[in-house]
Formats: sequence, structure tokens, C-alpha cells
Amino acid sequence: MSSPRLTLFGMAMLAVGAALSYDNPAGTSVWVLVVPMGFLSLNLLAAVIHNPRIHQRGGLLVFHLCLLGIVLLAAFGRLTRLDAHTELVEGTAFDKDNLLDVRQGPLHRTGLGRIEFVQGPYTVDYAPGMVRGLTHSEVLIPSAHGWRHLDVGDDRPLVMNGYRFYTTFNKGFAVVLSWLPAGGGNSIRGTVNMPAYPLYDFRQANRWQPREGEEIRFWLELETGLTDQHAWTLAPSKAQAELIVKSGEQRVVLGPGQHVRLAGGVLTFERLSSWMGYKIFYDPTINWLFFTAIIGVFGLASHFWQKLRQPDWQPTAKRDRIVESLSGRTVT
Amino acid sequence: MNENLASELPWLYAGLAAYALATVFAVKGAWQAQVAAPQTLLGNERVVFLGALAGVLLLVTAIAERWVRIGHGPFVSLFELIMSQLCSLGIVYTIAYWRLPMLRPSAVIVLPAMWILGLWILFLDPVASPYPPTYHNKWLWAHVGFGKFFLAFSLVGTGLAGVLLLRAHSRLQGWFRAMPDDMQVDALAWRFMLLAFIFHSLMLIAGAVWAQDAWGRYWAWDALETSSFLNWLLLGAAIHVRTTYRVAPRHAALAIIVIFVFAFLTYFGAPFYSEAAHKGVI
Repeated sequence: MSSPRLTLFGMAMLAVGAALSYDNPAGTSVWVLVVPMGFLSLNLLAAVIHNPRIHQRGGLLVFHLCLLGIVLLAAFGRLTRLDAHTELVEGTAFDKDNLLDVRQGPLHRTGLGRIEFVQGPYTVDYAPGMVRGLTHSEVLIPSAHGWRHLDVGDDRPLVMNGYRFYTTFNKGFAVVLSWLPAGGGNSIRGTVNMPAYPLYDFRQANRWQPREGEEIRFWLELETGLTDQHAWTLAPSKAQAELIVKSGEQRVVLGPGQHVRLAGGVLTFERLSSWMGYKIFYDPTINWLFFTAIIGVFGLASHFWQKLRQPDWQPTAKRDRIVESLSGRTVT
Repeated sequence: MNENLASELPWLYAGLAAYALATVFAVKGAWQAQVAAPQTLLGNERVVFLGALAGVLLLVTAIAERWVRIGHGPFVSLFELIMSQLCSLGIVYTIAYWRLPMLRPSAVIVLPAMWILGLWILFLDPVASPYPPTYHNKWLWAHVGFGKFFLAFSLVGTGLAGVLLLRAHSRLQGWFRAMPDDMQVDALAWRFMLLAFIFHSLMLIAGAVWAQDAWGRYWAWDALETSSFLNWLLLGAAIHVRTTYRVAPRHAALAIIVIFVFAFLTYFGAPFYSEAAHKGVI
């Protein structure tokens, strides 16, 4: 099992698996990678045990053990991982039951219930030509001294309880509405998220079906200063908006704070708000993977250092005795 | 775009001219080596060294000038990547040329190989590139730096591999007669490939950390990641074969050339073939 020929065969299988996954991992069976990696792991384990060229050389042994460790950690990471998305409206708390596109390993034990933070306002810079720049998303997290403000965005995720929350290009506006049913009962308050902005600035529309009455359709007319000619900052807290409401044959334009009586009740457009889309990532192995990989490379470097110090490549040809170095010293 | 505003271009052209001088004298030296005594070539080697050194310094100036002009380092557009690669390849090869006299005749292979990039950049637009938000990360520097060392050490190894292949032809043997025998050249070439392997590994690690910060995943089999991993696997397999079996120096040299070509295509092909996140501007 420890045969070098099998190692090469395993590497060839892994190369084929990687090539099949090229740019399309979601559409490729994971087994094209799992089988060669499993095969190579067994081959490596046998080689570490039986091959004195590995187990009698400290650096090389460390490197190969770390390779084995990386495969095992990556496998464990896949079994316990979580990938998901969520959209958070400004002023609302993270809700573990409000996740989208959830993909998780069979051994994932969710710790999302212990995560508590509230979405604040955000800004996104754009260069001319609508090229997205830095995102600054403010979140509030509880601490011993009250709520603490944190600025997250792009490569600065919010990390809580091992879960990493990354801002995404997917963000936009929301309208905060209240609804008082015509037949009496309690007023309800909620938000309707509009499509991502500025990606879909031309169709900021959505709809809502109240329990009473007809479906209500909304269009949001925004004044954000959007331009692709100059640098521009998307700052929802500074945007102006009017909400066009259509229900049945009735059509009305509302400003913030205004209301309209519809067939099923009274709708109030309380204010404009915003939402931010987050990618959620959890993998308990990533720090271990990093350290294992670094230790492995240092093991390999230490092994190569021994080889580099061997003089077998030092030139013995006649020429080198007479060639002066270019710094003027004589090389002997 | 208004090319008059690309103030780094004069420095770039001057750097290329210096590389051209070094290349001409490397070829001249190889030609003369067929008949001249080795010690008479020292003046020639000094010109190659000084030309390459001047080229490096001028390219460093060009990069700095562009950096000031557009506000970010050479990490985004193909123009920037090639300009910085010309510089980093030049730095490592010039140091190797200076410190290891036995590999100097390989300049006749290495410098013309660098001219693939030197000619390519002449056809590229130096227009300012937008700096993606995910590039504001220190791990990007580590990733790019390790990658440059990987490619540069591969290039030095490739130069030596080229010597092994070219001197198999009787007409070209004289070019490299000042160099040691095949076994020693082969050993030196593979030591550079071992260094390349270490830096390739570090590049993958730093890239994974950057990807985790930038896109919320450390590995996603995007075009550049996959090509890079295949390159690492290929180099690892070649090192395995060479340390396990008896491989003739010329066959091993051929493997080095294949690895370098694959690395070259990974660097300058994959990121611009794919629309995946690794392309940068998202």
C-alpha cells in the first residue's frame, strides 16, 4: 500500500478529480475528490509507517503527517460546516430562523441560537462606473458595558461563536409599514424588503398580502444621488423616498409618516429603512487547518534546508576557479 | 484612455530597454563561449548583470510611479501583473546570476523567456484599474509575494532545464561548455524547484486565508485555485518521481519545463479566462 507507484496513481486520480471540479464544484460529485484523497491518505499512512525514507527524516515526516492532518481536518470541516445567507433590516436582531440557502454538514450542531447582534446603518462606496468599493456595515453586539458598535464589511467579517458573517453585494432598501385591520384588532408592524440596490434600481417593487383585503403592491421611488459618472456613496440613511401603493383600482403615493385607507384596513408608510445581506460561514477546523499547513511547510523547508546545504551541486568545473564574482571578490 | 497620463510608461520602456541590453549580451556571450576562453567572457557577464540590475531598478520605479498615480499596488489588471512579474522575476534571477556564477550561461534562455512578458505588456492598456474591496487585506500581499518567489525560482530552474535540453544538440553544446556536467546542473535545477515547491505551498496557504476573509470560503475550486492546485500537485509528483526513481537529467528537465509552462498559464491565463471571484473585481 505504501508503494510510490500507488502514490503517483493517487495523485493522478486527484488531478483528474480537481480538473473535473474546475470552476464547477457544485455540479460535480464530491466523490471525485473524496476517493483519491482517501486513497492517498491510506497510501501516505502506510508510507509513514513502513518507509524509512519518510519516518527517519524529521522534516519530511512532519510534512507528510501534516498532509494527512489537512485531509482529516478538511473532511471533518465538511461534515460540520454551515453555509447560509440572511438579510437583516436596520434595527432588527439576527434571527437564527430567518436563514436562506442553508447548506450544512450532517454533523453540524447549530450554535446560532447563542448569537445576538443588531443590524445598524451601512454605507457602500462606489467608484466611477458603478464599481463597488468598501462596505461599512455597523452592527451592535451586547457587551458587559451595553451595546458595542462594530464596523464590518468586505474582508472584515463579524465573528461570533465561531460563525463568520460577511457583508455581500446583496443589500438594499426596506419600507417599514404598519397595518390596522378595518374590522378591528391589533395593529401590526413590519418591513417589506425591496430588491437589491443599486443592482435592481430600475425595479424597486414588492408585494404583500394582508390577512384582510386584497394584495397590496409597492413601488419605491428613490432619491439616492445614484450616478455612474462620479464616485458615489450609497448611504440609505440619507436617501429620500416615496412609496407608491396599489391595491385593486386604488393607487396612492405616500411619503414617510403618511397613511392610506385601503379595502382591508389602514396602511401607514412609517419610514424608509435598509437591509444588508450576509453570508454566514462556519467551519470549526479553519484555524487548525492553517496551523497544520504552516507546520507542514516548515517541516518540508527544514528537510530541504538539509538538502540545500549538501555540497553536491557546488561547481567543480575549471571555470569557477577563475571567475571573479561580479562584486569583485574571487570565488574559489 | 489618454496614454499621456500613464506616467509610468517611460520608466517601463527604459526598464525593458535595459533587459534588452542584457538579453543581447547574454546571446552574444553564448555565441562567443563556443570559441572564447571562459575568463574572456567576464566583461560580457558584467554587462548582462548590470543590464538586468538596471532593468529591475527602472521597473521598480515604474511600479512606484503607477502606484502613486492610481493609488494602489500592481495587483489587479494584467498590465500591472505583468509589470510586477517582470520586476520580481528580474530581481530573483539577477541575484541568482550574481551569486551563482555556474548558472550564468542560462541567461541566454531565461532572459528571452522573460521577453514573452516584455512583448506582451507592450500591447496592454495601462488604464487605471479599480481596486476591489476584497483586496484591502494583508494576506493578499503574502499570497502575491509567495507566488512571485514561486514563479521566479521556477524560472531559474527552467533556465537550467533549458541548458540540459539545448546542449543535447551538438551545435549548441559550445554555448554552455563553461557549465558543469548534466548531473550537477540537474541537481541545481531541482534545488530551485524544491524552493519553488515551498513557496507554492505558502502561496496556497496565504491565498486560502485571504479567500476566507475576502469571500467567506477558503477554497472553492475556482479557475485559478484549481489551476494552482494542479500545478502544486504536478510539481509534487515530479519531485516524488525524481527522488524515487532514476530519472535522466534531460527527462527531468522536460518535467521542469512542463511545470513552468503550466505555472505560466495559471498566472497569466486562468484569472482572465474565468469570471469567478478570483478575477478580483466583483
